[in-house]
Amino acid sequence: MSRTSELTILDRPERRFPLKLAPQIPKIRKLFHASAKNQWDPRTDIDWDLLDLSKYSEAQLRGAREFWSRRAWSEYGAISESPALQIRFCQDRLEPDLQLYFTIRTQEESRHAETCFMMADKLGGYIEEPYENVYQKSVSSHGVRKMALDPDTPLEAIIAALVCAAEEFAFDVFKYLRDAVTDPVARRIFQLIMRDEVRHCAFGWTYMDYRVKSLTADAIKKVEEAVIVMVRDVELNGYHRAWLAPDSPASALEVKADRLAWEAGLGGTAEELEIPIVVKTVKRVRRRMKPWGVELPAFNHPKIGVL
Amino acid sequence: MTAATARTTPIPIEKRFPLDLTPSIKTIGDLYEAGKEMRWIPNDDIPWASFDASVFDAETLAAARLTWSRRAWSEYTGLTETPALLVRFCLEVRREADPKFFLTVRNTEEAWHVDVCHRVAEACGGYLESPADEAYGQIFNQDLHQRALDSGQSLDAYVATHCAVEDGLELELWRGYLDNARDPVLRRVLELCVADKIRHAAFGWFYLEKRAPELSPADKALIADTIETHLREVEFRGYHCAWMTPGGAAADVVAADTKTAEMGLGALPPEAERAILADYLALAHGRLENLGINVTPLEIPQPGS
Repeated sequence: MSRTSELTILDRPERRFPLKLAPQIPKIRKLFHASAKNQWDPRTDIDWDLLDLSKYSEAQLRGAREFWSRRAWSEYGAISESPALQIRFCQDRLEPDLQLYFTIRTQEESRHAETCFMMADKLGGYIEEPYENVYQKSVSSHGVRKMALDPDTPLEAIIAALVCAAEEFAFDVFKYLRDAVTDPVARRIFQLIMRDEVRHCAFGWTYMDYRVKSLTADAIKKVEEAVIVMVRDVELNGYHRAWLAPDSPASALEVKADRLAWEAGLGGTAEELEIPIVVKTVKRVRRRMKPWGVELPAFNHPKIGVL
Repeated sequence: MTAATARTTPIPIEKRFPLDLTPSIKTIGDLYEAGKEMRWIPNDDIPWASFDASVFDAETLAAARLTWSRRAWSEYTGLTETPALLVRFCLEVRREADPKFFLTVRNTEEAWHVDVCHRVAEACGGYLESPADEAYGQIFNQDLHQRALDSGQSLDAYVATHCAVEDGLELELWRGYLDNARDPVLRRVLELCVADKIRHAAFGWFYLEKRAPELSPADKALIADTIETHLREVEFRGYHCAWMTPGGAAADVVAADTKTAEMGLGALPPEAERAILADYLALAHGRLENLGINVTPLEIPQPGS
């Protein structure tokens, strides 16, 4: 099929047959079934009555509302953008295990968005937008939809960037928060989200381990470039952590909110505690990708230095 | 049928904020909650080990494997359509949160339906990856994911056609398969799928009912036209009812469905499908008319005509 760089995968006519449905990557098929078994419902699996607002100051509640609203925005990216990946799996006629698994992965992400929304709401009200446009750039998009629809962007580059890199950052955020928060409802939320995130990360690494041996040097290079962009321009730009966003009055307010929430044990974070976690995440991602032939460079961030 | 063309499909540009996540359509919010409450597990909730293929003769099993393979082919549509529709809802300015949450659950359920139809076909002798006649296979290439995302296409017309009218028809047919099934394992498969499909069809109609008061006469005329085109060019060409496929391209599927139905393995003969189609379309036309959407009824052919 001829195509130009202007066309997206949407412009290819569908060719459904032969339609393969037998497992080809058993580990990913197992993740699909594990997800089916481990579904949960924010309304019934969290004891919201344990949330005692009287324990917290008005400022702490405001900070926590902002933190949980921001978490909802970032989870929402997996509803608004990542489903494009599933279209890609089907249009590229890739292994059916990916196609089946990703449906439930999207549902899990929507559950996370719903949970974060509910928490913000119960803390005093969900907030619909960041303070200013400047900070919106940090949380508005991870660019996955565009990449997924672009036939010239190798799928492996997207999976490596979005799942192996970005999901690892998300995983470490949740792991840290699960252990750091003291509020029982906040802790329960992080426990439940973490369980899903374990599978999300496993999906990415399993798929890349399966695919990487057949990638050309050029494709590996594109994987490397995509991961660099995801780490440098998305994660280190504050997509999951406000304190990493470029300094501005807006991001300063977000950082202040995070600290208030963290001090209350309701979520949030504090820069000095998270720096070593971010460093470890980057090191781990770099180490795990090295056998693929992906060489992640040193990244520079004004608040961390070289990492 | 609209085939994808050699043009760039225009998709809406997202304006993420303000991001409203507050539930606002109670009927659809309730469907979402029900979907979560009624979640099931394909591995555990169907007694797969109880299905005994050895009690059926070779002809019956050959028929059933084709019937259930074809069902997997059509269920598969959701794996590309629903993510595209979900993204479209997110890209459209100020569309409600409830449909977005609901569609994520719907898509998981569609994956389960594909999975269980594939397993049944496997248990009956082996899933078939393609129709025998390529001409019949073409009807499955609907490019719905492209249409769902195309900003030049009305989202409301899409939902009315594919989520209300089409999913409603699918539900009634599956109810018929269930009513006509005697094998306990396959009945269980059909019961679980029908329970999901009740919500899927309700979603389309609820959303259309929510939107109808805000739609102009031109919007409604477009919806009516889109539905008519879909019925004429897709449904009446055998997408759900194989006996309507022109030129006998699905004769093997029709014969298989007839045999599968006779043996109680979860299908309907053409005459029964026609009756369901006629009843459903009469009902759907009335429901649409109540919303100010006037679809010209099409004559439904007789099987074998």
